Amino acid sequence: MATFRIKRYNPEKQAESYYEEFELDIKHGMTLLDCMNEIKWTLDGSFTYRMSCRSAICGSCAVKANGHSLLACQRQGAHLVKDDDTIVLEPLGNMKPIKDLAVDFKPFWDKIDKINPYLQPNEKAPKEERKQSPEQFRLIDDSSTCIMCGACYSDCNVLEVDDNFLGPAALAKAQRFVQDSRDGKTLERVRDLSKPGGIWDCTHCAECVERCPKPAQPFHRIKEIMTVALDQGVTNNNGARHALSFTKSVKSSGSLNENIIPVESVGIFNIKGLFDLLPVGLRMFFKGKNPPIFHKSIDDVEDVKRIYMELDE
Amino acid sequence: MKFALFTGCVAKGATRELMLSTMKSAEGLGIEFVEMKSAACCGAGVVSEKNPLLADALNARTLAIAEEQNLDLVTICSTCQGILKKTECHVDTDAAYKEKVNNVLEEGGHHYAGGKIKVQHFANVLGTEEGLKLLREKVKRPLTGLKTAAFYGCYVLRPSELSLYDNTDDPTGMEEIFEILGATPVYYDSRTKCCGFPIIMMNKDASHDMAGNALIDAVDSGADCVVTGCPLCHLSLDAYQPEIHKMNKKGCSVPILHLPQLVALALGYSSQELGMDTHVVTTTGLDKILAQ
Amino acid sequence: MIKHDVVIVGSGLAGMRAALEVCKDLDVAVLSKVYPTRSHSGAAQGGIAASLGNSEPDSWEEHFYDTVKGGDFLNDQDAVEEFVKAAPSVIYELEHLGCVFSRTPNGKIAQRSFGGHSKPRACFSADRTGHAILHALHEQLLKSAKSVKIYSEWYMHSLILDGDRCNGIVVSDIRTGAVEVMQARAVIFATGGYGRVFNITSNAFAGTADGVMSAYRAGIPIEDAEFVQYHPSGLYRQGILFSEAARGEGGYLLNGKGERFMEKYAPSRMELAPRDIVARAEQSEMDAGRGVDGKDIIHLDLRHLGKARIMERLPQIRQLGIDFIGVDCITDPLPIQPTAHYSMGGIPVDKFGQVISDAEGTPVKGFFAAGECACVSVHGANRLGTNSLLDAVVFGERAGKVALEYAKTVGHAPVNESHEKTKVLELFEEIFQQDGGECYNDIRNEMKTIMTENCGVFRDADRLKVCIETIQNLRQRYKKGKVTDKGKVFNTEVYEIIELGNMLGMAEVIATAALARNESRGGHHRTDFPKRDDQNFLKHSLVYLTDDGMEIKYKPVVITKHQPAERTY
Repeated sequence: MATFRIKRYNPEKQAESYYEEFELDIKHGMTLLDCMNEIKWTLDGSFTYRMSCRSAICGSCAVKANGHSLLACQRQGAHLVKDDDTIVLEPLGNMKPIKDLAVDFKPFWDKIDKINPYLQPNEKAPKEERKQSPEQFRLIDDSSTCIMCGACYSDCNVLEVDDNFLGPAALAKAQRFVQDSRDGKTLERVRDLSKPGGIWDCTHCAECVERCPKPAQPFHRIKEIMTVALDQGVTNNNGARHALSFTKSVKSSGSLNENIIPVESVGIFNIKGLFDLLPVGLRMFFKGKNPPIFHKSIDDVEDVKRIYMELDE
Repeated sequence: MKFALFTGCVAKGATRELMLSTMKSAEGLGIEFVEMKSAACCGAGVVSEKNPLLADALNARTLAIAEEQNLDLVTICSTCQGILKKTECHVDTDAAYKEKVNNVLEEGGHHYAGGKIKVQHFANVLGTEEGLKLLREKVKRPLTGLKTAAFYGCYVLRPSELSLYDNTDDPTGMEEIFEILGATPVYYDSRTKCCGFPIIMMNKDASHDMAGNALIDAVDSGADCVVTGCPLCHLSLDAYQPEIHKMNKKGCSVPILHLPQLVALALGYSSQELGMDTHVVTTTGLDKILAQ
Repeated sequence: MIKHDVVIVGSGLAGMRAALEVCKDLDVAVLSKVYPTRSHSGAAQGGIAASLGNSEPDSWEEHFYDTVKGGDFLNDQDAVEEFVKAAPSVIYELEHLGCVFSRTPNGKIAQRSFGGHSKPRACFSADRTGHAILHALHEQLLKSAKSVKIYSEWYMHSLILDGDRCNGIVVSDIRTGAVEVMQARAVIFATGGYGRVFNITSNAFAGTADGVMSAYRAGIPIEDAEFVQYHPSGLYRQGILFSEAARGEGGYLLNGKGERFMEKYAPSRMELAPRDIVARAEQSEMDAGRGVDGKDIIHLDLRHLGKARIMERLPQIRQLGIDFIGVDCITDPLPIQPTAHYSMGGIPVDKFGQVISDAEGTPVKGFFAAGECACVSVHGANRLGTNSLLDAVVFGERAGKVALEYAKTVGHAPVNESHEKTKVLELFEEIFQQDGGECYNDIRNEMKTIMTENCGVFRDADRLKVCIETIQNLRQRYKKGKVTDKGKVFNTEVYEIIELGNMLGMAEVIATAALARNESRGGHHRTDFPKRDDQNFLKHSLVYLTDDGMEIKYKPVVITKHQPAERTY
């Protein structure tokens, strides 16, 4: 017997959510969704959540189990039982609940809309198919597996504090077009995606990689867009400047010059940005925490420079 | 125990107290660290934004150097740990890619074989049976009464297939160490979250907000201090704490320690010997708790 | 009252493809009880057929013959001809819209082998072809957002017919429970199939016959309901799909003795015989006690394909095996069994998607249907794998075109809003007021079990009679159920009850049509009439709902080029 501790919410009945417990015997082979259905169909018909395909392709049944998002149909119920014989079920995060585990996906879809989520070819279509090599297909293979389940969106650390962030799913969707050899708007796309709320606002926490039930794995896709953006010369923003400054610093000394990078990242002509750096800089200076003024190179930095010459020139 | 020590850049720069306390812990425990002085920066996942192959080549070079030293590699930064593991995975799982990378390395006299050495964070070393035994033997001043909240740092946890922790959603590795040191671990939801440091230059408010939420969570859970295995988390949580306070994050004032500082405190070193006076948030309150 | 020029119910491939046609000139609403990207078209894995000839020379003529032979000669051949001829251009068009396809080394759309097709003609995107097309079409809808209004999580209750003309539908918003009338010049149904009436099925929970049954209740017959396809490779007990692509790539089927038993049943095509034949072979093996471990299990063995090919061509299938049954097909065979998969029958339409109400082809003006809910019939008695996605796209486009042309010529007809609305409100009220002792879950389970056991791969008169009786009894019990949730907001329980009502109706239609067809053909196999009987049954069935219950009529099959011949593989 496992105890399902479920976060219930029904605005028609009461404004506050609450937890309710259900006891269920998880039989061999039951997925979490099977368990949820068993609860709904035999214990409480008002238990509410979304579901459809039960084969991990429609993206309906993402919920939080034990604090993290997952696809209910894709996981074995027994695997989720904690040491205290419970499974805690809650609605996805970063979206407002409508009832029980069903949340309002509007912000999620609105952000998908924002990245112009459709192919924009430059040339007129040929009579037959556009050619795309298997290697080119591979670049968009992973991102095109996204099922829009919202698991990444739910657990994204940036979205918890900033609604303006496009979020992992929309950015993964964007990569699918940025790196589609058939698309003609690569530069325009990476320009848009380099604006505040875009790729450079990703905090590398990799929660999305962890939660993604498919190979889409948004964080990896976001990094791929960053590389394209830098290749395309879209560098007039702190994120890009930071990446370039960082890379340059490692090239010259084999290690990071922490005195230079913040300055180069905000832009050396950005008076306000530089001014903003002052308090923390001074604070660290007075504590004796500031990085050494004379930055020291690693031993054999020449080998590092050689590798740069070979790979980054 | 003898390891190749990959210090990372920040322990040599803005958080030199991390380097200091790492060496003290090693001294106190009798662990020998051979510093990898010719290893380059791991790139922090930033060099790979510019050029993924370049980042992998630099890190494969680092792994090759550890192989040459015939020593397992130890990091003292969650980010370095995760990034080096990532390269290891990229190169080890793709023979053609490995050859490509090695072609670049060979001119500099390096060759990465793979599978010869382990890449592990200092916390992972301490968390092994041998490490825990050593800690048990060497603790001189149990940190009795000190409520410590672990802050893991994303890169040692995620992606989980590269992590050395078994349960990355609910890890216990650091807390096990705390207990042996005599401290009382505080479990709180934010301990596996992001500190916000990677976007501090791009989205300052969001960055501080993330750090602030984690700190509030730790304080609300009763923590006397937050202990991290990542110097970048330390910067975000400590050096920027005044900015965080300004964001109206009331009740999140708390000292932040590097894991080796906490270890060395229990080994009998003083807070000054461990550079704790260089922290932005004062740690004097901890001395008082320990004095009781 | 909500007003649109054209309303499309269902947002899978057929619905969205139709919407893209209509929105060129008129305002269109797409209604879905889920979100468009959650539609079950997305679960299609293996491919979409077209004689592109990218890996071997191919022709529409061969595609034509394979389809007709696969359908056991019940297909309407005039429609099949147009269907297969349209295929290549439809695929190119999808590619131009941005659909992601796996590629040949020279950059063309890759094609693989599939059951019943004599040439490798399944265009694919790894093993998630339906998903790739569904998302490509959804992207285009988002692009056309100005003229397409999407109603996600809205439920369609009934058709509004006035004589021979359709003037709209009655719907409700699942999130708020609000009932609304949608007035339209034309309505297109793309509501999918009804596999959920069976216990073992590959279908999504959404596949509950809502569209087909509301047409049926409005007096429109259901064509060829007895023809349900059992897919040979459903996951044991769960029924979810392991694509035929696994066999297309060279997978073996093994019985409990480790034998490739298809040798006995289809020696020339082996595992790549059409689905009806393979499913029957599996069931025969299991019935003879040659299932794996004596259970209803057949092994799908992919081990000899090797890790690289599995990872490249069948990655999703591998993951499904790991997640759902803990089996990695790289190292172990997958346990499978036949699973109810596809409805060859449905709402009768002509080859342009115009719904017809009788054997004479009398149109129901302003009412169109496409995809699995419709019966053109291009699939006859058994659909070939990869022809369903093609059906949805080809006839989705056609239905969109003709609905657009029609809607441009007529205005909105008056609708008695309060009357139409009241009927649906009363339905809700009836369910809420019921206070019987019956449990809907039991009713649903009993329906599914009897349908799989008595109306499954093998059927006979006795079992079908029991099945019909059981369903009729369940329909009585259904009226005495009890609902827990009486709220308006997101009340999924009440919608499941309404869906169950539709499924019970559908189950009875399927079993009744199956009992009347005293022959074996394609997906319909009667052990008491094991032979095909062209003399008496080379015809489509039409089941009507009349005041006196069900009535079955028949409609001739259109035969142009290929006379029925013996069907061996």
